[in-house]
Amino acid sequence: MPRRRDFRPFAARGRRPILAILLTFAAFSTVSVVSSISTTKRSQHRASVVEVAARQRTLAERYVKEVLLAREGARVDPRFTASILARSADALLDGGTAPPVYGDDDETKLSSATDATLRAQLGQERRLVVDLTNTGNALLANRSVARVPLTAHERLRMKDPVLRLRVLAALTSNVSLNAARTLASSTDRNINHLIVLQAVLGAAGLLASLLLGWALILATRRQTAHFRSLITSSTDLVVVLGTEGCRYVSRSVTRMVDRGEAELLGDGFEALLHSEDLAAVRSASGCGGPPEIVFRVLNSAGEWRHLEAHVTDLRQERWVRGVVLNARDVTERIKLEEQLTHQAFHDSLTGLPNRSLFRDRLDQALARAKRSGEFIAVLLIDLDGFKQVNDSLGHDAGDQLLSEVARRFKHVVRESDTVARFGGDEFALLLECVTEREVVAFAERLLDGVAETVAIAGREISLGASIGIVLDPGSGHSEELVRDADVAMYAAKDAGRGRYEIFCPEMARKAGELLGIEHELRLGLQRGEFSLHYQPEFELATDQIVGAEALLRWQSPTRGSVAPARFIPIAEATGLILLLGEFVLREACLQAAEWRRAGLVADSFVTWVNVSAKQLGNGTLGTVVRSALEAASLPPSLLGLEVTETAVVEDGIAGERARAELTKLHRLGVRIAIDDFGTGFSSLGQLRHFPIDMIKVDGSFVQGAVDDPKDAAITANLVNLAHALGLVAVAEGIESEGQLSSLQDFGCDLGQGYLFARPMPADQISEFLATQRTALVDPDAAVA
Amino acid sequence: MRRLSSWPGRLTLVVLPVLAVVGCAEADTVSRAPNSLIRVSVKDFRIVVTPGHIPAGEAELVVTNHGPDTHELIVVRSRRSHLPVRLDGLTVDEEALHAVATVEGVAPKGVGRVRLHLAPGRYELFCNMAGHFMAGMHGDLVVG
Repeated sequence: MPRRRDFRPFAARGRRPILAILLTFAAFSTVSVVSSISTTKRSQHRASVVEVAARQRTLAERYVKEVLLAREGARVDPRFTASILARSADALLDGGTAPPVYGDDDETKLSSATDATLRAQLGQERRLVVDLTNTGNALLANRSVARVPLTAHERLRMKDPVLRLRVLAALTSNVSLNAARTLASSTDRNINHLIVLQAVLGAAGLLASLLLGWALILATRRQTAHFRSLITSSTDLVVVLGTEGCRYVSRSVTRMVDRGEAELLGDGFEALLHSEDLAAVRSASGCGGPPEIVFRVLNSAGEWRHLEAHVTDLRQERWVRGVVLNARDVTERIKLEEQLTHQAFHDSLTGLPNRSLFRDRLDQALARAKRSGEFIAVLLIDLDGFKQVNDSLGHDAGDQLLSEVARRFKHVVRESDTVARFGGDEFALLLECVTEREVVAFAERLLDGVAETVAIAGREISLGASIGIVLDPGSGHSEELVRDADVAMYAAKDAGRGRYEIFCPEMARKAGELLGIEHELRLGLQRGEFSLHYQPEFELATDQIVGAEALLRWQSPTRGSVAPARFIPIAEATGLILLLGEFVLREACLQAAEWRRAGLVADSFVTWVNVSAKQLGNGTLGTVVRSALEAASLPPSLLGLEVTETAVVEDGIAGERARAELTKLHRLGVRIAIDDFGTGFSSLGQLRHFPIDMIKVDGSFVQGAVDDPKDAAITANLVNLAHALGLVAVAEGIESEGQLSSLQDFGCDLGQGYLFARPMPADQISEFLATQRTALVDPDAAVA
Repeated sequence: MRRLSSWPGRLTLVVLPVLAVVGCAEADTVSRAPNSLIRVSVKDFRIVVTPGHIPAGEAELVVTNHGPDTHELIVVRSRRSHLPVRLDGLTVDEEALHAVATVEGVAPKGVGRVRLHLAPGRYELFCNMAGHFMAGMHGDLVVG
């Protein structure tokens, strides 16, 4: 298995060889010092020995002189000299203290001789000293010297005792001298050895030094190579700035700007910086901070690259003397941030500021207006009829239209004004330093701009707009201004659209009431304040009840009984109609099923429920109806849906979706009726293809059928039309016998109105149905 | 012809001529070898010459110091009278003699060599360090 080799750029390199070399060096030095000390000490000792050995020669000669002088009667003491000679010879051989020679030197401590040759010489010397002194003593005592025993193998044949003494002294002197020479040569040898050793150690030390240097160079090279590879392969950009300008740039910098290092050093790097960022970089270079800066550099392609740099102050660092910038190219991140910021504050379709940015600018404008006392204006613009364009021509066309409108708005306003899109077809405009007259002029120009036709999807389209205006001298809050402009905009819509309204407090009051009703409607749904009333439908020919229309009623705890005409439009506008419609369907089905189970109604009794255009276009009606039928276990054929004429014939996606929904439900067996027939603009041809079972002639025609010939004619024609299409005709709002009679004459099938019965709560209608049922089974009982 | 490419072969080519030259040199030395080898043992204070009688001609004198002290050896033709002594009374007057050969200071356990041509006659060998001759360090050699 191959050995893993980690990349460790910060590890201490070459520590082991350096340590080994240093240890070797230390060992050499120790050996050198110890051997020098040892050799020097031995040399010092040997010098003492040599001195004593050499002194023996002098003493031997002095002894001979003193013996001769003593024989002549001089006052000398040869025996004392003899004792010094003997004790010195002993000390030289076996160690000890060599006695001093008075007036000459001090006593000398000696170690015993170790060298064999030296010992032999000193032994011979000691024997000769004995022979010399014995001979001297014999001479002084006038004894025969020939009888003095000789211990050093000397063979003395001369008769002259003095010559004999002198020869012995010469022999002693000679051997002492040679012993001193032996010692000196031994010392020389030691010194020579020391010189050789020092030379060897010196050479070894030099070699170790070279090796150490080499190892250090290698380690430094490896370390440098590691760091170089890290820096050169890194995409991070490293720049060192000193007092004299740029002192270092990494290779990544030269690559990015496509310039040579020499061009960038000094003032070259600064020349590539964005003028707005120059101060920040100079400040970092001069002060060593702040820790992070972002600046722009012109790259080789002429693009400004954003660099985010970490600033490290190494001005006090001896080897750097500058501020190090460790930078990363964050251009893409900054672009993305700018893009995200733009997206967060702009509408993606038109590129206009969105609600958030508008609010921000409005806040700033309010602050300025407060200081200057000038008026600002907020205009809220809602396009009239945009929904129809979107539904009929599709969302792409709607988007094109919005873009074109945005373009026209921008064209109308001043550079300093803010046009924003709040979403959908709602735009807002912020004008500063304006008068009411100027704002009105703006609003009119906006209306004119919108009214110009636009070619979209091959069609020439002209739109209108409702504009709400609020003027403020800087005293209000942005939220209030937008809300007030919104109120004014709805006032413009209520006032007939295609116009502008300037906000006044009265509008706010009305709007507040509307908002209050919406809130109560929601609460009412939760609290069960809604209920259904039912108005029966009679077969005109037989007077029998064949069905009932469910009608929604709201009993508000604060407002009392609220008329549908009052709350239904609000429910339609706020979308609450979907929840209310679902409630009506569910309740009606349950009630119908209950009547059926109770045997209060005939098998063909149909319960009719009104369905709004919003419910039809929502796409969930089929699901809601099926769910209600299933929950009540009611056969689909016993449920009828009353839809308005306009909801069915509507153009666009919503109309198509409504028709498809109705077709499916009709196939299921659910009955379909057109409500308020005759008030809309239905094409008769279209009606043929609709899944309709019944048309309900509007009460306004029915009520005029007796007195107004036109209404009578219309009613008769509508009944005939229904029959011609194979549909059942129902007359609404029959209030008099005369009306009933006319309708019967026209051949109308079914009727409904106060003449027969008013709408009744569930319990009352149940009783009513029970009575009617009994009358049908037992006509006498009914009369009673 | 086979090429000598291996190193033993090349070594043989180099070594053989060298050996031949050395052999010639040895032969030359042998032809000029001394006729006699005179071994002289010196020590405190005696000189022993072996053999004491040699033929005339070339001779090699080998002096071995067995004593503790340093010695030297001087070879002179014998005279009828005693060797002259200097005024110090301790050393032979070398200036008054003609030394046939001299072996300067031989250290203890040391060996000194000298070649000499000896004519027939009687020779005297002695150590002339101070007092050594007087202490008995002298010997004789007979040539012829």
